[in-house]
Amino acid sequence: MTAPNPALLLDPEAIRRLRELDPSGGNKLLERVVNAFSNSLDRLLPDLARAREGGTLDLAIVRHVSHTLKSSSASLGAAALSARCADIETMARDGHAQGLHEQLDAMLQDIQQVRAALAALL
Amino acid sequence: MLPTGQALDDLPPRPRVLLVDDDEVNLLLTAAALRERGFEVTEAASGSEALGQLSGRAPDVVVLDALMPELDGFETCSLLRATPGFESLPVLMLTGLDDEASINRAYQAGATDFFVKSSQWSLLDGRLRYLLRSSRTRLELERSKAKLARAQDLARMGSFEWWREASASFAISAEGLRVFGRGPQDRLDFIGVMRMVPADDRHVFLRLLRDVIAHTSVLVTDLPLTLPDGRQRVVHIEAEPEFNEQGGVSGYTGILQDVTDRRQAEDRIRQLAHFDALTGLPNRRQLIYRVERAIESARRGGHEVGLLLIDLDRFKVINDTLGHTAGDELLVEVGRRLRACVRHSDQILEGVLDGLGNRGHRGLEAVGRLGGDEFVALLPEVADERDAERVAQRVLDALREPIFVGGQECFVTASVGIALYPRDGQTMADLLRNSDVAMYAVKSQGRNASAVYSPQLAGHGKQKLELESALHKALERNEIVLHYQPKIDVRAARMVGAEALMRWQRGNVLVPPADFIPLAEETGLIVPLSEWALKEAARQAKLWSLQFGFSDSIAVNLPSRLFERTDLVEHIHQCVSAYGVPHRSIQLEITENNLMKDLQNVIPSLHRLNEVGVEISIDDFGTGYSSLAYLTTLPISEVKIDRTFVRDLGITPQSSAVVTAIIALARALGLRVIAEGVETLRQMEVLHRLGCSLMQGFLFSKPLPADELERWIAQTVLPRKAPWITQADSPADLASRGQA
Repeated sequence: MTAPNPALLLDPEAIRRLRELDPSGGNKLLERVVNAFSNSLDRLLPDLARAREGGTLDLAIVRHVSHTLKSSSASLGAAALSARCADIETMARDGHAQGLHEQLDAMLQDIQQVRAALAALL
Repeated sequence: MLPTGQALDDLPPRPRVLLVDDDEVNLLLTAAALRERGFEVTEAASGSEALGQLSGRAPDVVVLDALMPELDGFETCSLLRATPGFESLPVLMLTGLDDEASINRAYQAGATDFFVKSSQWSLLDGRLRYLLRSSRTRLELERSKAKLARAQDLARMGSFEWWREASASFAISAEGLRVFGRGPQDRLDFIGVMRMVPADDRHVFLRLLRDVIAHTSVLVTDLPLTLPDGRQRVVHIEAEPEFNEQGGVSGYTGILQDVTDRRQAEDRIRQLAHFDALTGLPNRRQLIYRVERAIESARRGGHEVGLLLIDLDRFKVINDTLGHTAGDELLVEVGRRLRACVRHSDQILEGVLDGLGNRGHRGLEAVGRLGGDEFVALLPEVADERDAERVAQRVLDALREPIFVGGQECFVTASVGIALYPRDGQTMADLLRNSDVAMYAVKSQGRNASAVYSPQLAGHGKQKLELESALHKALERNEIVLHYQPKIDVRAARMVGAEALMRWQRGNVLVPPADFIPLAEETGLIVPLSEWALKEAARQAKLWSLQFGFSDSIAVNLPSRLFERTDLVEHIHQCVSAYGVPHRSIQLEITENNLMKDLQNVIPSLHRLNEVGVEISIDDFGTGYSSLAYLTTLPISEVKIDRTFVRDLGITPQSSAVVTAIIALARALGLRVIAEGVETLRQMEVLHRLGCSLMQGFLFSKPLPADELERWIAQTVLPRKAPWITQADSPADLASRGQA
């Protein structure tokens, strides 16, 4: 899988809708959402790392992490990340461990890019 | 931005949302989006946190993420539903797009609806408002159902349905089961209902039911039944057919209601409208209805109807002396006895004769109360007048036994008038009028008997009218005369006074007092008649004093109403003054009954009369209901022993006991005693022996015109020729005979 086009990392339409929820910026909504996403990652990623340690992959943890990230990344307009999370969630739910590690690695890469893009928004 | 979707319509201005999501980002964004669209949002990051929030201010709707660590959305929803008060709170479950399993689980856990997560906030907004509206509608429906159930309970009403195809085709609502005396958990099928219905009614009902179903018509009927606890109820049933898409009848749905109370009230009203409240007998209205039906039936059947009018004799006296309560008691007992004289039917009859069958008119037979002391016996079919007379005799016999009321025995008699359809009248009114004529004929002939109507009797009624108008003119035509019966002192064999008695010389006929005095009293003519009599008596006293030195008094009978007149003394004064005779030449007689009836009003007159020297004599003494104690207080001079006691003297020991008592009493009070109606020497002897020597009667002389009395004195008393004078002349002989 090739690296995604950085321009498509964050869907401008989604960002616009986000800003619309707090047009004056008085609620610092965008900042809070980005922080919340960041906090969420800080909590989920160590869980994921633990799930990948040892011989077998803990699919339940993989499923929970991918599910959560799927919807929150979608909310932030990170469509590619969300789509990848959806794929991973489906694989984990269906018990397809094959190629899951590669997908997870790709997801971690996507996350780094999205983080950077979000930081640029603030 | 304005809230999207429908207008805010009837929703709360800011619906409260409890938002539950473990994903911080989603929670934050969804909350912000909903707040922006007019919702008040409470956030919870987990299921347990959400359940903890419920104890506070309850939300209008819960939005619940399905997949959460630990307590997930499904478990949270189940727990919420199990919490009292949250059974029907709308819950929207958030799921993934392709997560069909979660959707099914969401409904199983009691979620109201599901929603696929989306950042299209307007969709979520619209869905929430839809949920709130339908939840409100559902809430109203539930309230309405609860109200309906309560109303049905109060009205003892329920519903039922019956479906043609389904296997468990007959169902009764919980309220309906209650009407049938069952609990909501009890099972009751159609056969179970039918088992509570009495066999006869069941057959009628099943026939009706078959008919209704065959014609696809509406079922409306009342069903009597006996509940498991033995209570008798009446259940009203109404059902309408339900149709399927093809237009065929798929079943019936209907309501049922316990109408026992209403039916009882209706029965009571009908009872009050058609039956006399005192005696429980059919009243005038019901009687009229029955008589009219009986006449119709007789016209068709060609038979006769008998109508008996039964009027109690002297009921007014009983009412006046014993009081109305006792009078009522007496009427109840009389009603009870009369009812036993016929095949009395208590059935309420209102246009149901057709249902009575060919011999239905028999069911009309009854005794009813017209009002007061008037009863009617209806005999719907009699062979002839003897049939009716036999029933009349039963009525008279039934009253022979004394009736115990007001603490004493009363003897009641009745006068019965009989009229027959078609001979004596074609209508109820005719029959009633003619039975009335017959009844009055009985009254005038001494009561306690029956008479069948005849046109001659009606003639008597006409005669009475003529008599009344003639009596009005009698005074001015000088047709009224006084006859005089001497009062005799047998010891001295001489006349000591006379009683003036009124006669009516009507052409060549001498009308006896019994034929016109009651009429005169009825019409009030008795007042001018009595005033005339007083004047005439005074004139006669003067005449006799001139002719043969008469110096005693002439007694005039007065009704009590004359004593009530304040000018009586003045009137007597004028009479005696006009002829120059002393006041004592007039004596007044009043009957005991008359006196007692108006004692308080009469006493002042008695005193004033006594003061001017007019003596008072009590007539018919011993026949009244009065105690004798009052005599001591009255200014009277004389008592007259009633002729009924005199008549039985020497025949029954009781009569001499009464006479002895009256004489002893009079003596103790210093009153004169005189015996009336003395007809035989034997009566005279006994009276004399008992100590009463003043007498009056046919033995001495019948009442005579004034000039004849003069002759009688000249030819009988003075020559001492009559047998009673011979007897009276030898007291020793009298005494020995009396002891024999």
